[in-house]
Amino acid sequence: MSTVPRTRTRPLQGASTVKTLNCPNCGGTIALRAAGTTVSLVCEHCGSTLDATQPELRVIVEANRALHRPLIPLGSRGELDGVTWEVTGYLERTDGEEPWSEYLLFNPYEGYAFLIDDGDRFSLGRLLDRVPGWDDNALSVGGQVFEPTWPTYEARVTFVVGEFYWRVKVGERVQVTDYAAPNLMLSAEENGAERSWTRSKLLARGTAEAAFRIPARQASWDSTPRADEPSPYRRNLREALVIAALAAAVLLFLGITAPSNRLVLTRQIDVPFDEKSHNVVIGPVDLPSARQSVHVRARVDTLNNSWLDIDYSLVERRTQQSYAGYATAERYSGRDSDGAWSEGDNDPGVRFSSIPRGTYDLVIDGAAHRWVDPKAAPAGFTPIFGSADLPPQDMVPVTVEVRRGGGTGGLLFLFLVLIAAWPLILWFKHAHHEARRRGWPQSDDEDGDE
Amino acid sequence: MLETNCPNCGAPLRFRSADLAVKVCDYCRSTVVRTGDTLELVGTAAEVPDDVSPLQIGVRGRDGSHRFELVGRVRWRWDDGGWSEWLMLFDDGSHGWLGESMGRFMLLRPEKAVSGEVPATMARGGQVSPGMIAIIAGEEYAVSDARAVTVAGSEGELPSPASIGTQGFSVDLNRPDGRTASIQAEGGTVEAYAGRYVTLADIGATGLREFEGWPMPRYVAGHGA
Repeated sequence: MSTVPRTRTRPLQGASTVKTLNCPNCGGTIALRAAGTTVSLVCEHCGSTLDATQPELRVIVEANRALHRPLIPLGSRGELDGVTWEVTGYLERTDGEEPWSEYLLFNPYEGYAFLIDDGDRFSLGRLLDRVPGWDDNALSVGGQVFEPTWPTYEARVTFVVGEFYWRVKVGERVQVTDYAAPNLMLSAEENGAERSWTRSKLLARGTAEAAFRIPARQASWDSTPRADEPSPYRRNLREALVIAALAAAVLLFLGITAPSNRLVLTRQIDVPFDEKSHNVVIGPVDLPSARQSVHVRARVDTLNNSWLDIDYSLVERRTQQSYAGYATAERYSGRDSDGAWSEGDNDPGVRFSSIPRGTYDLVIDGAAHRWVDPKAAPAGFTPIFGSADLPPQDMVPVTVEVRRGGGTGGLLFLFLVLIAAWPLILWFKHAHHEARRRGWPQSDDEDGDE
Repeated sequence: MLETNCPNCGAPLRFRSADLAVKVCDYCRSTVVRTGDTLELVGTAAEVPDDVSPLQIGVRGRDGSHRFELVGRVRWRWDDGGWSEWLMLFDDGSHGWLGESMGRFMLLRPEKAVSGEVPATMARGGQVSPGMIAIIAGEEYAVSDARAVTVAGSEGELPSPASIGTQGFSVDLNRPDGRTASIQAEGGTVEAYAGRYVTLADIGATGLREFEGWPMPRYVAGHGA
């Protein structure tokens, strides 16, 4: 534009990067913002595609149509990550289901970047100057591993305005394959002749909006997460799990050390040595909880070489609903080649589980039996007792203890459920996020395949 | 270094290296070729159309331990665009090219040892296609792009005259490790260059062109340049 030689003597105050031109088709005033690099210029007034590689802007595709304006106007400047960018071009693309927008950003010292808008979030993409490395079905760039996402899809340009360093065309198609890492996406675009790699960084909400002065967007809870969007629940989940584990440990410790059951009644009964069973009813056994366990213990301290069969029936007074149990108390001792021995449980317990609320009687049928040690018996003499020096018994005194449990156990369980509730909710949210993040495009599309 | 005057307009001319025999006069755009102390006018170079490049003649920087200065430039055109090649004169007298294309920079050094399918095909004027292989300095490079090019303009000092309209064939190649190369055929000669992508910060470029309303890159601002 001038005859001043372009040498070091050029004035230092700085030239403008923007040249004002007129569209050869509609005559409208248009800007050329990256002269020398821009190849195509789509007039923002009439939509004609102009060839910017020639000093005279040649019309390549003539158009006369009203264009819609990008949300961020062409020529807007904004600072992202400390670099000022100017919007030089805008295009809209679709994969056939979801549309998105891309702004071509330019800085004379930094070159180009893409501001990608999926309608909810913005990300900033730069072209890679190298091919990513393969590492076990994943890609790596500069030590960052990117996982494969959904299958390769076709992206088609549906709208274009502004200037670009390549020949843009509505309808242009490329095959895109995306790989994801937290907050990062790696995309390969192939058009048959060429394959280019773009790494894009998901920008924090509000960053791009503030930089380019457009209204900030709100997070919507039901939107499908992006493949490069890290789960917002992961951190909370970890904290919740630690807290819940501590709480559960304390609770279990208290539950184990605290008495878990309560004595309802204790009664001493006498069971005679008799072939017939002896029937005793003790009560009342009041059971206040909806469901609880009942533990009946028979302690027989004086048992010696004899045994006791005990049948229990727990009978509800009003409904006569009954629950049966059986226990044997026994104690044997003697002397053989190995010396003195004794064995047997003289303190057996019976547990009734899940007994409903009510007032019960405990019916006890007991029968005591004597035992003769055949080895200890010399021929012709049959001792009735294992030790002749103990006086024979007629009655066996039995202490019956009835305890009810369940109350604290149920409460303990309830507390554990409550403690687990928050981590579980977070885990479900996290899993849901991850499933949707990895599952995009949604698998519930019946007619997804063309 | 040779200080002389333009045989056409009399403006001062400076040849800084014996290897760079061509100088485009800053004032009258005459292309002057030097043979020893003899100067010859070989034509007029086309002015490079004004562009938004941060580079200009006089920009200094470094590549490893070597400092360089940009002393010349050739602007190339092809069907779908254009790019610039800036001649880098290093402090050891060697030279290289700083390629500027699509807002990215490639630092390329001439390589003598080139063999393989690509240079052979280019030497006989055949068609080079993406994926073909060249061995440059013992390393294998694959063709990513190949196109017919013409010179659109030139300025400063150059190793050979670049007249407007000079036809050539240019092939871009790369390696998976990020290194890049270029092979150019012009007339019957095939020349290879190999190097890598760089940023202006990587090469510490100073003396960059200023643009109204654009802050200098941080690495420059930090040094008060």
